Amino acid sequence: MMNIRVEKLKQTAGGRLILDDISLDFAAGAVNVILGPNGAGKTTLLRLLGQFDAPRSGEIYYDGGASSRLPRSGRTALRRRIGFVFQTPLLLAGTVEANLLYGPRLRGRSVSGAEIGQTLELTGLKGRELQDARQLSGGEKQRLQLARVMLLNPDLYLLDEPTANLDPISVKNIETMILRLAGSGKTVILATHNLIQARLLAGRAVFLKAGRLVQAGSAAEVLSRPLSLDIAEFSAAENIISGTLARRKERTVLVCGELVIEVVSERSQGAAAAVIRPEDILVSKKPISSSARNSFRGAIVAVTDLGLVTSLSVDCGGILFTVFITRISCAQMNLAPGIDVSLTFKATSVHLLPLG
Amino acid sequence: MHYGGKKKNKMEYILDGLKQGLALLFPPNREILQIVILSLAVSGGATVLAATTAIPSALFLALKEFRGKRFLVGVVNTTLSVPAVLIGLLVYGLVSRRGPLGTLGLLFTPGAMILAQALLAFPIITALVLAALKGIARDSRDLALSLGANRLQLALAVIHQGRFAFLTALIAGFSRVIGETGMTLMIGGNIKGHTRVLTTAISLETMKGNFEIGIALGIVLLLAALTINIVLQWAQGK
Repeated sequence: MMNIRVEKLKQTAGGRLILDDISLDFAAGAVNVILGPNGAGKTTLLRLLGQFDAPRSGEIYYDGGASSRLPRSGRTALRRRIGFVFQTPLLLAGTVEANLLYGPRLRGRSVSGAEIGQTLELTGLKGRELQDARQLSGGEKQRLQLARVMLLNPDLYLLDEPTANLDPISVKNIETMILRLAGSGKTVILATHNLIQARLLAGRAVFLKAGRLVQAGSAAEVLSRPLSLDIAEFSAAENIISGTLARRKERTVLVCGELVIEVVSERSQGAAAAVIRPEDILVSKKPISSSARNSFRGAIVAVTDLGLVTSLSVDCGGILFTVFITRISCAQMNLAPGIDVSLTFKATSVHLLPLG
Repeated sequence: MHYGGKKKNKMEYILDGLKQGLALLFPPNREILQIVILSLAVSGGATVLAATTAIPSALFLALKEFRGKRFLVGVVNTTLSVPAVLIGLLVYGLVSRRGPLGTLGLLFTPGAMILAQALLAFPIITALVLAALKGIARDSRDLALSLGANRLQLALAVIHQGRFAFLTALIAGFSRVIGETGMTLMIGGNIKGHTRVLTTAISLETMKGNFEIGIALGIVLLLAALTINIVLQWAQGK
């Protein structure tokens, strides 16, 4: 387990600001996810945390200790508590075993055959010891990188998009390993732009955009109640509707063309975007009476089977809503394109974001 | 001299020269042997001198981030195209009796030739090592650091990864300087038994009409280049 805090971290490259004034805490002994679009600064932040590069300014505290004040030997000792997995696997030319033994050799430490066997078993590379590492498949290379780091038993794991470009089975394998690591008390920080992965793995999520920290908090909070439209759009929130706030009959509403959506808001004027999660919208064939303030009629435009759930696209007054229902209810209600349905959701289900 | 005889094929002039040249080499003529040895010593010495400064410079440029790095790399690349004769002029100015290093009495000595040739080889070796390291230095540095290398281990890892690049650069530098004529003539003076090397001897002997000596020395020069390249290919295949 390792406690990490960064303070006012700034990094530049070729005169360009890559990270701008980042201050945050990571959760120790848990999975932390760094989210953000390409170019947000995720890899730059990970490289600073991994002590590969020095920041332009700011400080990183490892277990409370400022890293910039460390003497050279202390920095090497710190780096030996950190394991890094690169997005593009960096492997030594040679066998799988040679790759595994490189770390212990640098530390002047010997590892037993049992330790190697156990690591290979955990990462599903058993029997591959003598294979040329560069001949492995993409998923195997990524697992070898993880195995190489696990053998060194670091306190902190830094993983840079460890499942990018991998097949679904390899992704599953690596996700399982990451959860196990956090379960055994390791601090894991990983960069990803896979939302499903973030929800699955993360205790804590950090969202970066263009080098700035947009939001940090629990993964559920950041993904479900985003503080900015950037996150909502990035997290592929299905229903993002922009309009103007107004007061109507003692209530606050968001006017979006023909639709008037009732919301809960302290503000009652100005432009805003509403984010409504598909799972918060109730679908019925006939209008239902409920305490939910918002109910709209619309025609189904498309029905898409997503496996576990079915997604419906419904046109309500010119705005296309996406809603999820179970496959069974879809069949029971005989829902098909062209059929009119009612969409009902609470005012509190509408998450408002300021615009402009 | 019997070139251009009416009945003789003009090619025979070259073939005769080749025959006589080979005769001078097997067994080797004492004077030729001396020239060969001096050539290898001067150019080898110059390459080693250049490499001991060029390789660390290239490693520094490849691994360190600092202000003005791009400018410095640009300077190195620009010096690649400085004509050898200008370097000769510079070194001449430095070591001639009235120059800053005049008291050392280096002009027309092998030492001055080594200095001039090292200056010629330095940008070649630096630029080639730098270009090769560009692709591998960052990755091998990252890999070594990620697995806990200290500073010494890090440098060794990068050097290990770059070993063929170093060899290629050394050979390119050596090939360039051993084939250099004009500058070497300016600085060395082509003094028989003292500063006469393969290239200056070839040009002198050929101009004097001793075509066969020129050919014999030319063969040695070619053999040297060939041997070096075979060694290089063999080392890279390993």
